[in-house]
Amino acid sequence: MHKNTLRNVSLIARREYVEGVRSKGFLVATILLPGVFALVFGLVFLSSKYLGVDRNIAVAADNPALAAQVRSQILADKDAKATVQLYPTPAGGLTMADRATLVAQVGNRAIDGFLWVEPTGHDSFRISYDARSSADFVTNNRLEKAANDGILRWQLQQRTMTPAEIEHLMSQIDLETWQVTHGVERKSNALTSFYTAYGMALLLTMTTMIYGMNVGRSVIQEKTSRIFEVMLATARAQDLLAGKLVGVGAVGLTQVGIWIGAAGTFAASGLAAQAFSGKWHLTISIEQVVLFVVYFLLGYTLNSALFAGLGATLESEQELQQYSPLAAVPVWLSFSLIALITSDPESKWVVIASLFPPCTPIVMFLRMGSQMPPAWQILLSILLMLVSIRIVLWFSTKLYRIGILMYGKRASLPELLRWLRYS
Amino acid sequence: MPVVQLNKVRKVYENKVAVEELSFQIEPGQMFGLLGPNGSGKTSSIRMMMGITYPDAGSVSLFGQPFTRSALERVGYLPEERGLYKKMKVLDQLIFMGSLHGLTHAAARERALAWTRRMDISGAIDKKTEELSKGMQQKIQFIAALMHDPELIIMDEPFSGLDPVNATLLQDTLLELKAEGKAILFSTHRMDQVEKLCDAITLIHNGRQVLAGNLREIKKSYPRDRVQMEFEGDASFLDSPEIAEAKNYSGHAEIRLKPGADAQKLLHLAAAQATIYRFELMEPSLEEIFIQAVGGKADA
Repeated sequence: MHKNTLRNVSLIARREYVEGVRSKGFLVATILLPGVFALVFGLVFLSSKYLGVDRNIAVAADNPALAAQVRSQILADKDAKATVQLYPTPAGGLTMADRATLVAQVGNRAIDGFLWVEPTGHDSFRISYDARSSADFVTNNRLEKAANDGILRWQLQQRTMTPAEIEHLMSQIDLETWQVTHGVERKSNALTSFYTAYGMALLLTMTTMIYGMNVGRSVIQEKTSRIFEVMLATARAQDLLAGKLVGVGAVGLTQVGIWIGAAGTFAASGLAAQAFSGKWHLTISIEQVVLFVVYFLLGYTLNSALFAGLGATLESEQELQQYSPLAAVPVWLSFSLIALITSDPESKWVVIASLFPPCTPIVMFLRMGSQMPPAWQILLSILLMLVSIRIVLWFSTKLYRIGILMYGKRASLPELLRWLRYS
Repeated sequence: MPVVQLNKVRKVYENKVAVEELSFQIEPGQMFGLLGPNGSGKTSSIRMMMGITYPDAGSVSLFGQPFTRSALERVGYLPEERGLYKKMKVLDQLIFMGSLHGLTHAAARERALAWTRRMDISGAIDKKTEELSKGMQQKIQFIAALMHDPELIIMDEPFSGLDPVNATLLQDTLLELKAEGKAILFSTHRMDQVEKLCDAITLIHNGRQVLAGNLREIKKSYPRDRVQMEFEGDASFLDSPEIAEAKNYSGHAEIRLKPGADAQKLLHLAAAQATIYRFELMEPSLEEIFIQAVGGKADA
């Protein structure tokens, strides 16, 4: 190693760091990003709380007792806060004219919808729900469950069971979830674990992407300000690149540190418990925190090495912006596997995706939401990321070395290949 | 021991030969001019001296040793493509550049303050670079190149973009540095500055060296075939067979003599026809030598 390498890398990193944390962009992103997160999670929370409530529904069935039973089941769901009317059953049973009357009521907004229960044979029924919105899946699910419960209770009554017996049979048994970690059972809340891991994966994605892009942007800014030739007289190209990666990465870690510190303070203050009504509690293990930092550093280095090489071949930040969707491909790929990761975190495709370096940080964290991946897979993923970082850095340093002194136009592919050959 | 020595250096970019068989050397305390039209290979040559690019053939030696990056600690460099960190304050920028050259923070600060006083920009040290004029920025870059008190100073077009006052300040500073024993190489298009400042030059054209050596000796090697005269009276002597080309500006004539022509004969002829106030036999200017050497094709 050149004797001044460490000193130069540290000086360049310090300069990048000071400029980074003093910039307005850092201040805005540090405040704004958690704000956006809070807004998204708040909206999800509120929409899950208020979706499908306060519906005014009519229940129509040939048998008034059956209709009443279904009605009482709908009303039993306190979260729905529904208003339920019973459609008076005519003496000869329901006809198409009754259905037309109800459709008209929905049309003129007298009611939000009606549940139509009709027998299709002995002990079998068909239920339908007519409403203005067919996409109100929360209400649809609630009504389906309430109608099934109501019909079942009515059928049990018909078999002369007492209400107490029916209540006993129909009582809800909650599923307890336990996670087995290293052969030991641990009480878990599937939803909390999933959302925690999902949040961490999202944070990891955004920070590694943003700071990776920042390195690319910084290379282009220095290229357009023509500073490189001055710098190359004092430091080697690889020292400049290394200093930049370390400095900008430290800015990213500082930002993540501020967020984690703020989140910790928020959680410790008891405000979090109030905000989440005690239902949600953040469960982040030490392993997850350590792996978060490890995957942040690896993901950031991989992204920033890519963007540094790319930045050196471009002429403006607008050009860099055009390439950013390409860099987001691993993110889309990783998040598209969520359903598979949640249901079968050890399946072949999930394991392959978690060992594919561009996807590793995100997929690994999503997997942790379901279960902690085996240690050998984590170690292998880290090793593969290190190897890919080495390869990308090799290419990027070569492109960087030549590209930073090439002004005027974006390099074409044949030119890039020549740069790789010459440098 | 020469401070810089290039020996048959060659540099090719793809199919274009940028520099071919270039050789010269610079001694301590010498001011050296690297001349040539645009695209002639000046910047390519300088970049090889700075280790930014490497020669395909030949060798570059600094301070008597084959090029190594550690030699750059003794070199101050002002590239043609200049740049500064726009958001950084002037003083921070200079301290940063000094520190990269191995100075401690305190030493770098002390030197930066001394140089900003010397270059008359003390008032700008707390300003961000982007707030300064181009001329001011150029002075800062000049200082940045000299922060570590280099023994060899290499400057690519140092006078471009400077107003006459600042160009003179830079010129005087370079002369002071030369007097301190520094070796200085600069490239320029301004022949008047080369004539005033340089001890030796190398002229390159299309990557090849077309002229090299001590400036005085080069000028001496060209015949004194230029005559400037002031006169009153009959100007018919300007049709003399001794004259290759003459321009008469009502009493002031600029004459180029034919090869081997006798200036004394022309003086006698002129004196017989007109009153001569001044008759000066001159050596060619560097600009004329430059144009002649590159075949009048320079786009500089």
